[in-house]
Amino acid sequence: MAKNVFYFFGILVLVAVAGFFILGAGAETSQKNSGTQNSGASGSGDFQKVTLSIKNYNYYPNTVTVKEGQPVRIYLDATVSGCLRSFTIKDFGIAKNLPTPNDYIEFTPDKKGTFRFACSMGMGYGTLIVE
Amino acid sequence: MSVKNFVKSLSGNEVEGELVKTIFVSLATSFILIGILYFLRLRYIENFIPKYGFYLFFAVLSYSLILLSIKHIRAYKEFPCMSGMMIGMTIGMISGFLPGFFVGATNGMFWGSVFGMAVGITFGTWNGKCCGIMGAMEGMMAGFMGALMGGMTSIMMLNDNLKLAGVIIFMVSSVILLGLNYMIYTETREMERKHKDDEFFTIFWSFLLTAVTIFFMVFGPRSLLFQ
Repeated sequence: MAKNVFYFFGILVLVAVAGFFILGAGAETSQKNSGTQNSGASGSGDFQKVTLSIKNYNYYPNTVTVKEGQPVRIYLDATVSGCLRSFTIKDFGIAKNLPTPNDYIEFTPDKKGTFRFACSMGMGYGTLIVE
Repeated sequence: MSVKNFVKSLSGNEVEGELVKTIFVSLATSFILIGILYFLRLRYIENFIPKYGFYLFFAVLSYSLILLSIKHIRAYKEFPCMSGMMIGMTIGMISGFLPGFFVGATNGMFWGSVFGMAVGITFGTWNGKCCGIMGAMEGMMAGFMGALMGGMTSIMMLNDNLKLAGVIIFMVSSVILLGLNYMIYTETREMERKHKDDEFFTIFWSFLLTAVTIFFMVFGPRSLLFQ
C-alpha cells in the first residue's frame, strides 16, 4: 500500500515538474505559427492582390486569374476558417498556414497554365489561371 | 467485481498492483531522457519548447498509459475472442491515434499518419494476438485507422484550438485505456497470471518511443506546411 502511494505521488510530482518546465516555457513564447509572413515583399504596391473568402463551403472566387511574372499576394479573409486557412498551391511549392486575414502568401508565377489551389486536406479547392 | 474492487486491487500484490509503478517508471524514463537530450542537444534548437514541448509532453503521458495497458494484457497472455478483439481494437486505435495526432501537429498529416500507423499497427497486432488471428487483424485495422484519424484531426484543427483539442483527446483516451484495464481485471478474476514483465520492459519501450518521437518531431521529415 505504502509503496503504491509513493509511486502515485511520484507520478504527480513528475507530471507537475515536467509540465511546469515544458508547458510553462512554451507559454512564455508566442504560440503563433511564424511561417506565414511573406518573404521579400516590396511594399511598392507592384503586386497582384487576391483575397479569397468562403462561399458554399469552398473558396470564393473559385477561379483566380493572374499574370505571369508579376508577384501575387493571396489573402484569406475572416470568413475562411478551420483547415481551409492552410493554403496550398502544389505546382508552385506553396503550403502556408495563414492564421489571420492579415497574413498572406506571396509568390511569382513563373509559368503559364492552369493550376489547382486547395487547403492542406483538399477539402476546399479552386483553380489558378496564369496568363 | 466493482470499480471499487478494481481501485483497491491497484494497491494489492497481484498484477494490478504493479500498474501504478509502471506509469511511474515509464514517465521517469521518458522525462529523464528528454532532460538529458535537452541539455545535450535540444536546447540549441530554436524554439524547441514552444514548438514541440506541448506535443512531446502529452505524447510521453500517452505512452505511459499505453504501456500500462500492454503490460496488463501480457500478464495474462490469452483471452477469449470477444475480449481479445476489444483489446486489439482499443490498443491499436489509441496507440495509433495519439502518436498520429501529436506528430501530425508538428510534422504534418502524412508523417503523423505514417508514424501513428507504425506504432498503432505494431501494438495493435502484438496485443490483439492474445486471442488469435481475429484480435491481431482487429488490432492491425484499428492501428491503421486510428493513425490516419489522428494525423487528419491535428491538421483539421490547426487553426482551431489544436492544443486544447490535444488535452481533451488525451483525457478521453486515458479514460478509454483505464476502461480497458478494468475490463481486463473483470475478465481475469478466474485466471492465473501467465507472464511477468520486469521493469526493463517498461524502460525499454518508454525509451524507444520517446527517443523516436523526439527524433521524428525535431529532425524527421515534414510536410510543406511545416517547413
